[in-house]
Amino acid sequence: MQALNRHIHPGWLIIAPLMLMVVALYLGPILNILWLSVTDPEPGFSNYAKLTEGDALIRIVWTTVRICIITTLFSVIFGYSIAYAMVHCHQRQKTYMLTLLLVSFWISILVRTFAWLMLLGRKGLVNVTLEDIGLIAEPVAFMRNELGVLIGMVHYMIPYAVLPLLVSMQSIDQRVMDASRNLGASGSQTFWRVYLPMTMPGLVASTLLVFILSLGFYVTPAVLGGGKVLMVAEYISVQLLVTLKWGTAAMLAAIMLIGVLVMLWIMSRFMKLSTVFGGAAR
Amino acid sequence: MADPTQTGSLQIRNVSKFFGQFRAVNDICLDIRNGEFLTLLGPSGSGKTTLLMMIAGFLDISKGEIALDGASISDVPAEKRNFGMVFQGYALFPHMTVRDNVGYALSVRKRPADEIRNRVDEMLELVQLQEFADRKPGQLSGGQQQRVALARALCFAPPVLLLDEPLGALDKKLRVEVQEQLKDIHRRVGTTFIYVTHDQEEALSMSDRIVIMRDGAIEQVGTPKELYERPINQFTASFLGKSNFIHQNGKVFALRPEKIDLMPGNENAEARMRGAIRNITYFGSMQRIIVDTDEGAEIEVDIDVWRNASDLAEGLRVDLLWKDSAAVELQTG
Amino acid sequence: MHDKQFKKEMLAESAQAFRAGRMDRRTFLALCGASGVAMNAVLAGDAQAAADHVVMWNWGGQSEECHGSAIGEAFTAKTGKGLKFDTSGPLEGKIKEMVDSGNVTADVADADLFNAVSLGPTGHLEPIDYSVVSKEKTLPGYALEYGVSIILYGYAFVYDTEAYGDNPPQNWADFFDTEKFPGTRALYKWANGSLEAALMADGVAGSDLYPLDMDRALNKIQSIKDDSLYWGSGSEVHSMVVNNEVSMAIIWQNRGRNIENDTDGQYKLVNNQAMAMPGAYIVPKGNPAGAAVMEFIATAQDIPAQLALLDCLGMTPSNPEAFGQIPEDQQPYAITSAMNIDKIVYNDPEWWGKNGGDAVNAFLEAIS
Ligand SMILES: Nc1ncnc2c1ncn2[C@@H]1O[C@H](COP(=O)(O)OP(=O)(O)O)[C@@H](O)[C@H]1O
Ligand SMILES: [Mg+2]
Repeated sequence: MQALNRHIHPGWLIIAPLMLMVVALYLGPILNILWLSVTDPEPGFSNYAKLTEGDALIRIVWTTVRICIITTLFSVIFGYSIAYAMVHCHQRQKTYMLTLLLVSFWISILVRTFAWLMLLGRKGLVNVTLEDIGLIAEPVAFMRNELGVLIGMVHYMIPYAVLPLLVSMQSIDQRVMDASRNLGASGSQTFWRVYLPMTMPGLVASTLLVFILSLGFYVTPAVLGGGKVLMVAEYISVQLLVTLKWGTAAMLAAIMLIGVLVMLWIMSRFMKLSTVFGGAAR
Repeated sequence: MADPTQTGSLQIRNVSKFFGQFRAVNDICLDIRNGEFLTLLGPSGSGKTTLLMMIAGFLDISKGEIALDGASISDVPAEKRNFGMVFQGYALFPHMTVRDNVGYALSVRKRPADEIRNRVDEMLELVQLQEFADRKPGQLSGGQQQRVALARALCFAPPVLLLDEPLGALDKKLRVEVQEQLKDIHRRVGTTFIYVTHDQEEALSMSDRIVIMRDGAIEQVGTPKELYERPINQFTASFLGKSNFIHQNGKVFALRPEKIDLMPGNENAEARMRGAIRNITYFGSMQRIIVDTDEGAEIEVDIDVWRNASDLAEGLRVDLLWKDSAAVELQTG
Repeated sequence: MHDKQFKKEMLAESAQAFRAGRMDRRTFLALCGASGVAMNAVLAGDAQAAADHVVMWNWGGQSEECHGSAIGEAFTAKTGKGLKFDTSGPLEGKIKEMVDSGNVTADVADADLFNAVSLGPTGHLEPIDYSVVSKEKTLPGYALEYGVSIILYGYAFVYDTEAYGDNPPQNWADFFDTEKFPGTRALYKWANGSLEAALMADGVAGSDLYPLDMDRALNKIQSIKDDSLYWGSGSEVHSMVVNNEVSMAIIWQNRGRNIENDTDGQYKLVNNQAMAMPGAYIVPKGNPAGAAVMEFIATAQDIPAQLALLDCLGMTPSNPEAFGQIPEDQQPYAITSAMNIDKIVYNDPEWWGKNGGDAVNAFLEAIS
């Protein structure tokens, strides 16, 4: 025991059972997916070879990545503005805003999706109003296309984008901004040179969160895309539940997983990820 | 860089600051001379930071006016005032190196890179941080961070430098050391320093003039010596150093403990008061003696240790003597 | 995360829709996928199967009540055994998972007949015991080794009378003719029905559909892609139509009455060339109640049960003896009623069972 303690901190022994469970619960399924992707329906890389046969799968992956990037971009920009407003407004308004934000987490995604249709659909409030006042002759196609998917997804993702940014902005010492102004920097200089860099960990966390959550999006693209916007998550689910091509599903899941890991790895080259996940920014 | 014709004298005219009903700063008038080291001294909550923030332009003035060299700056935004500032807690930019922190004011003014480099080197030399230029603030000690903040604030040669309790976070020993450095830097750059502290020793040792503040208002202004020797009221007398208060004929006098002489026995004809020693505390360079007078007052006396070191003891009857000039009459009411 | 909510809404919607009954299988896939819930969690279900009752795996909502009153009561009277439900929805993937995991908790699944073709040979289903179940009490070709059709649903289309009032579309050829009938179409996203409609529109006779010529069908589908939306659930197409987003839509024919009502008759159902889909009961391999479940299936074939299912859920009988007894007011919306039966075509579960997976994928790739 003594000899062991010298090499392994005893704390590890206490949490070892927990660690094993975490490994089993998380790593197990992941390994299972990787395994399935090279064994179902027969051993080999035939599932991965499908990526090169025809452009359909590549197109689905590309659609997914494109939509996720655009969604992330807009969600984070809006999220940043909202978080900024929340941090810099009066306490009472802040409470209101936070409540609204949290309430939106509770509204089912399906309800929101149909709410968008009611608002922006062909016979939606916006189109009807615009037609009534004579601004447009034909309804604008906001919904049932990629634009609709983006609107729905961005709306859904904004609260997720706000939270990490809020935490990051709240931890900033107002005096640092004062110092910048005192040293002669204009508002925009202070923002770009001090505020933005100091909120960068929150920005990165928010971007990662939104992007990864977007990858799993399903209902919104299916409904608001009018069936024409097919994303990987939906396709995987079809392969699992309907066409029983579990190997294809596993292959796509593995690709997404690897894609996310590669993304994290690239980002870790530019910044310490620990700061993103709450470590000290040193 | 700052306008060389600016000299850095400030006129504060009837300035008040209200937070709702609460007057954090109440009708302050003050002339600050070019190049002086002026200290705002007062207990916590007395409005020092608020006044400083109004001077810096971060807080609007509720009433009154602040002028630089006679020209009002009340409407000039903070970033246009060209006042250097060392913040409570330093407020360094954590994501920038020491060099970038110090050069920030010049770089936002879009000065050429080599000018910035030279000036930053000069500043780092002034605060003796040359070898730390490429570190981030998080990798420096408290005293070093304080010096970075100072160099950053001085880099663009501001006519006025505002310092808000810059030594508050340092330990006692370091504080004394940095006080001297600060004083030295003040002498070398010649900028007007407005220095906020609640530490009376700091104020006494560094300042050209001290402004004593209480509840948002000025109690007294003067050189350290004037304030110490001639406090005008009980607040100043007790806030700056120790003081005995003697009530005679309806008047109140302040009497510093070290200005009192103490003789054993009760035979001295010039004795102002008589009493018995209650307590002796040894402080190394001096000893503090508390005397219960026959009038029922309690008087503190500071005696150099080398004088009558051994013949004093608790319970001993003593005479208390002082010169007329030692007792300062105070305003009452 | 979303699945409970989604499901609840779906079910509420289907309950509200009178006799909409046939809960769409593929929709449920959406519910599960969206939830991101591990399959096992969904599969766990809530029913405990034992020998004194059978567990029916269906889609919840109204069907729970209707299956109970239409089949369960007669079954209990006949055998003394009870009927319980697992309402988590027997998608093909979930049946496979349940059987593979060895923890089979359901006795009979309210599924599609093509599921019997795809899951039977792979050892996931019990064969139907035709000494108990009757081959005569369903349409010819719909009594298969591993499943028997109990009810029928179908694909037909509705059109906007305001858009095409004087010269309404008559058939699938008109549905796919966006020059003669300009406007947006809604097609079923999971290929079924949409492919057959495309081929008929392209001139293939209803009797010659199978094997489906996929290339030809997809070409036809793509020819109107710019004018098409694709729906994945009954409630979705309902909202597309009611909100006037489309001028023609493939729908489940038993939803026709609802749509006509909700649009005040602006949309009309066309049953010509409607496609009959066999809904089937299948038995997961190793079901807990064993052979007793065959008696339950046989009970569902009886005419009273068949008519009760029509009345309660809007599901058309598949027992030919019941066709003649379909009440007058149900006839337009019952695919095998006397007024429709001569105009319809029949889905081939054999083809879909063997090729359905590839067909769905090809379709999805073509429309996205
Ligand atoms: N933003 C503010 N709102 C309300 N009251 C304030 C605000 N800032 C300071 N005060 C009050 O004003 C008084 C003076 O504060 P301050 O200038 O910070 O004192 P000091 O720096 O002398 O300790 C304190 O009572 C403080 O509570
Ligand atoms: Mg203060």
